[in-house]
Amino acid sequence: MTVATGEVRNRILLRFTFFERIIHWIVGGAFVALLMTGLAFAYPTLFWMTILFGGGAAARVLHPWFGVAFGIGMVVMVVAWIRDMFLDDGDRQWLAAVKHYAMRDTDRVPPAGKYNAGQKMFFWFQAILAIVFLVSGMFLWFPEYFSAEVLRWMRLSHYLATLGGGVLLVVHVYLGTVAYPGTARAMVDGMVTDRWARHHHPRWHEERTRSELL
Amino acid sequence: MDALRSAGPTYSKLVDISKCIGCKGCEVACKEWNDLGVEPTANFGSIQSHKDLSPKTWLLMRFNEVEIEGNLNWLITKDACLHCEEPGCLFACPAPGAIVQYTNGIVDFNQENCIGCQYCVTGCPFDIPKFDASTRKVSKCNMCVDRVESGLEPACVKTCPTNAISWGSKEDMLALADQKIETLKARGYDNAAVYNPAGVGGTHMMYVVPHGDHLEDYSLPADPTASPAPMTGLVFLKRLGAYLMSFSVVGALVHFLAFGPERLEE
Repeated sequence: MTVATGEVRNRILLRFTFFERIIHWIVGGAFVALLMTGLAFAYPTLFWMTILFGGGAAARVLHPWFGVAFGIGMVVMVVAWIRDMFLDDGDRQWLAAVKHYAMRDTDRVPPAGKYNAGQKMFFWFQAILAIVFLVSGMFLWFPEYFSAEVLRWMRLSHYLATLGGGVLLVVHVYLGTVAYPGTARAMVDGMVTDRWARHHHPRWHEERTRSELL
Repeated sequence: MDALRSAGPTYSKLVDISKCIGCKGCEVACKEWNDLGVEPTANFGSIQSHKDLSPKTWLLMRFNEVEIEGNLNWLITKDACLHCEEPGCLFACPAPGAIVQYTNGIVDFNQENCIGCQYCVTGCPFDIPKFDASTRKVSKCNMCVDRVESGLEPACVKTCPTNAISWGSKEDMLALADQKIETLKARGYDNAAVYNPAGVGGTHMMYVVPHGDHLEDYSLPADPTASPAPMTGLVFLKRLGAYLMSFSVVGALVHFLAFGPERLEE
């Protein structure tokens, strides 16, 4: 098996299909637009950002429609990826060693599969937040049909989800771009280098290598 | 700000409910002066014109039939914006300049800056601002700010045939309220009180209420506050969120400075 897990020079692997990349960018683009308009509504000092969307009134009209794109994208994404996202024993070991992952102490991090436990947790957090966003968002989209008291709680829930989503986005973008060079390419042309795969996702790399050799 | 505020008088209406005869003249005067137009009415078993305020009805006389101490009482309330000193609508509004509070105490909506989010509706403890789905703007009583700035009293005050509505500085109106309450108490209304709720910092439309222990029966919330529990929570969360989101960016930068981009071994 040493051959199967070894590095194959100059080989690149397909990590995300065209369909997966499109869905990712629909959800990601919608989320960034939602965050910008949403933060503009939450903080008067950030209200100027609405000008990028045609002014306050236009931003208020567009925000829920970005939410529709985000919601549909999330549903498709969850259906497409949920099979790979359940945590197994290896993931639990990975989570226990998350400190070493953050400290770049790679030798002490248990090998990850196609997704490491952090990515899987990100997926579940995002899915839960999406439900909170979409349910409370429906109330705030049509406030004229609900009591002020209900709407107050919905604003609170909607903002709570924003807080979680905003922090998650920063972590996601940081880890996916500058922290780990070679990662972002997986969401551009879908490819990663053999070395990248062997380093970050050894179990997935082994699986792919073996299936190619067979 | 305080210096500016003390430069001029803050105005207040004082509505003496004991002197109101329920003629709805103020309703009509409001419609006329503000050019709000008529809305069809439907009989729902009350002399009241409409069930609730609307984008075209900024003032509504409410008529409630309530039994107090064995006697049927016909409680009348002039329902309109109370112009809070601490306006929940203004605290909730995300659009700069859409809701403003003038130094004379009037809380006004500037529709050209309104983005139609209706957060003010969630912020108001009196359920006053009303949304117009066709224009996507919210509106409410503006205390006839155009009349006031010309030295005139609001249209409802001008038209009232029994002088149930008084107009003047907040101090004068509070003093007048005390006189009226004294008179009412002498007439046997032991619980007569002024409605100037502290939870919103006081209001610039106050009521003299004969049955001060039956506020809810007048459709007046007994203890309104500009920051109900979820809104207080939201203020706290927003502050926390600003820190957490900023710190996550700073944290990522610090992590990058500490560890840099990960280089894969040859």
